[in-house]
Amino acid sequence: MFTKILIANRGEIAMRIMRACQELGVKTVAVYSDADQNALHVQFADEAVHLGASAPKESYLNRDKLIQAALHSGAEAIHPGYGFLSENAAFAAAVESAKLKFIGPSADSIRAMGDKAESKILMKKAGVPTVPGFEGLETEAEFKQAAQEIGYPVLIKASAGGGGKGMRVVSQESELQDALELARGEALNSFGDERLLIEKYIAAAHHVEFQVFGDEQGNLIHLFERECSVQRRHQKIIEETPSPVLTSELREQMGAAAVQAAKAVNYFNAGTIEFIFDPSSAQYYFLEMNTRLQVEHPVTELVAGIDLAQWQIRVAAGEKFPFQQKDFMQRGHAIECRVYAEDPASGFLPSTGKLLQFIEPHGPGVRVDSGFAKGKTVTHFYDPLLAKLIVHAENRETAIQKMQNALKNFIVHGVVTNVDFMQAVLAHPDFASGQVTTRWVETVLAVADLAVEKNKPTPEQLISAALAEATLANSSIAAVERRNESDPYSPWRQTNGFRN
Amino acid sequence: MKLLFDSQPIEIVPTPNGYDVLFDGQTHPVEIARLDKASGQIEFRIGGIAQSAYISFDGAKRWITLNGQTRMLTKTSTARRGARQDSTAGLTAPMPGQVRSVAVGVGEAVKKGQTLLTMEAMKMEIKIQALMDGKIKTIFVAPGATVEREQTLVEMAE
Repeated sequence: MFTKILIANRGEIAMRIMRACQELGVKTVAVYSDADQNALHVQFADEAVHLGASAPKESYLNRDKLIQAALHSGAEAIHPGYGFLSENAAFAAAVESAKLKFIGPSADSIRAMGDKAESKILMKKAGVPTVPGFEGLETEAEFKQAAQEIGYPVLIKASAGGGGKGMRVVSQESELQDALELARGEALNSFGDERLLIEKYIAAAHHVEFQVFGDEQGNLIHLFERECSVQRRHQKIIEETPSPVLTSELREQMGAAAVQAAKAVNYFNAGTIEFIFDPSSAQYYFLEMNTRLQVEHPVTELVAGIDLAQWQIRVAAGEKFPFQQKDFMQRGHAIECRVYAEDPASGFLPSTGKLLQFIEPHGPGVRVDSGFAKGKTVTHFYDPLLAKLIVHAENRETAIQKMQNALKNFIVHGVVTNVDFMQAVLAHPDFASGQVTTRWVETVLAVADLAVEKNKPTPEQLISAALAEATLANSSIAAVERRNESDPYSPWRQTNGFRN
Repeated sequence: MKLLFDSQPIEIVPTPNGYDVLFDGQTHPVEIARLDKASGQIEFRIGGIAQSAYISFDGAKRWITLNGQTRMLTKTSTARRGARQDSTAGLTAPMPGQVRSVAVGVGEAVKKGQTLLTMEAMKMEIKIQALMDGKIKTIFVAPGATVEREQTLVEMAE
C-alpha cells in the first residue's frame, strides 16, 4: 500500500478520496489554487501544496505543477478524481514517466476510449451494440442514402464533437441539406474538424450506464447500472440504481456488454460504460466510456455494498480484486441528488457567493458527500457542485420519500441552489413512474413555473421575515437567548460550592 | 415595528406570548417556541401549528427556508425607521420588558459588542451590547425597571 497520495482535485471528490485514504491509513496531499486557499479539502488534508492562480489551467489543469507537487511532497501516487485531468491520457502517461502511480486505468485505455468516432468503431469490432449509423461520409448524396437506410429521424454530429456542438436532429429528407451545412460550420468552428457522422436519432432515450471495476491482473466485473436520465444541458442532476426501466434479462445482457467493452481496451480500475436505452424497443447502444470514477459512484456503493474509492487505491497499489461477479447483488434502492449552486429559474446559471448557512441533513440511509461548509465561498472558477445527497432505502418508493425529506432538510443560504427544483422533479408523476428521458427537463418540466421569486411570498414566509427582524436582527444590540433552554438542574448553576 | 418586504408592508407588535404580525388587513398571532441565534433558526406557532424557519441576513436580503422551500425577500426601508437602526450612540429596548442587570457604569470605556445590560422579555434574556467602541454617557434605567419598546436605555459617546 502507498504511504502518501496526492489528490489532484478539489471540492467534494477530493474530500471523498481523502476520507478513503484516511481509512486505509494513507497520508494525503491536497493541492489548491488561490481561490481555494481556505477550502475544506485544503484543511482536511495532511499536507497542502499551492499550485497557482485560480484559473484551472494555472492550477488544477497544470500537469507539471501537479507532478512536481507529488514529487516534492513524497507522494507515491496521484488520484485524479473526476473532471480536470482525470481522462487525460497524456497526464496519466506523464505521471507514470515520473515514477509515480496514476490511480486509474492505463494511458492506453484512456486514449482508446477518448475519441467518440474511434471508440465507436472499436466497440463495433468487439460486438458491443452501437447506435445504427455511418462514419466517414462526405457528399450530401451519401448522407441522403445513409439516412434512408437508417430511417428518419436521424442525428448528425461532429466526429470530434462534444457538448451538443455540431449536433442536428433531422426529422425528414427536406431538412437534410440545411442541417448538414449548419452542423459542418459548427463542427469546423468548434473543433477545427468538419467530419460528421450520422446515426439513428432516439427521441425518448434513457441514459443507463454500467459501473465496471477491475484489477491489474485481469479480473474485471460490472457493478450494475445507474439510471441518469434527469439531465439539464446534457449534465446529470439525479441518478439512481437500479434503473426503473431495466428487466433482469436486460441487466444481464447490458452488464455483459459493459464487461466486453471494457475488456476490449484492457481496462482496469473504476470505469463506466454509458448506454443509450430506447424504452420503446428495449434496445441499448454504447454511447461512450468514462475512464474514471463517476460523480454518481455513491449510489453503486450503497446498493452493491462496496467502497469504490478505496478499491481504486488498493488495486492501483497492486492488490488483487478478490471478488467475482456472483459475489455482488443489488440490495435496495439508492438515489443521488447533485446539489448545485445554480438557479433553475434563470436557465441553471451558476450562483456564487459566501455560504451564509449550510446545514446537511442526517438520518438512517442518508449520506452527504460535501465539499463545502458554512462560511466558505463559492467562486465562478469551478464546477458549481456543492454536495451530493445520497439516500439508500429498501425500494424505489421509500428511497424517493427519504430523498424528499432529506432535501427539505438541506439548508443552504448565500447562493441559490437547485434543492427546491429537485424536490419538484421527485414529486412529479413522470419521475414516480420512471418515465423520465434525457430531454424531459427541457421539454416537459415547466422550469419557469418554479421561479419562486415571481410568486407572492406566503404568509408564513412573511411572518418568518418579520420575526427574524424582531428577534435575530441587530445582533450587536439584542443577542437573544432562551433562558429556560439551559438545564435548571445543571450542577453548573449551583452556587453552594458543589463544583469545589 | 413597521417593515417592508418585497414591497409588502408588515407590522410586528410584541404581545405577552410572542408577536402579532399584521399584513393585508389580517392579524396573525405568533408564539415563539425556540430561537437559535447561531443557526438563525426560529421555531414558532401560528394558530397552534408548529413552524420552523431558517433565516440568514445578507445586507437587505433575507434568505428564508421554511417547509423545505428557500426564497429570498428584500427588505426596503420604511418611512419611519426604527431609532435603533439609525443611531449607534443611543441603545433602545428591542421589545417591552424588564431590565435585569446593568453591567457598566457612567464614564466607563467599552468595546464594540460588550454587553452593557441585560433585559428580560417573553421568557428570554436579551443582551444589550455596544454598537461601537466608546464611553458610557448616560444610563437611563436601573435593574428591575420596566421599559417600553424603543425606549432609550443607554447613551454612549465616542
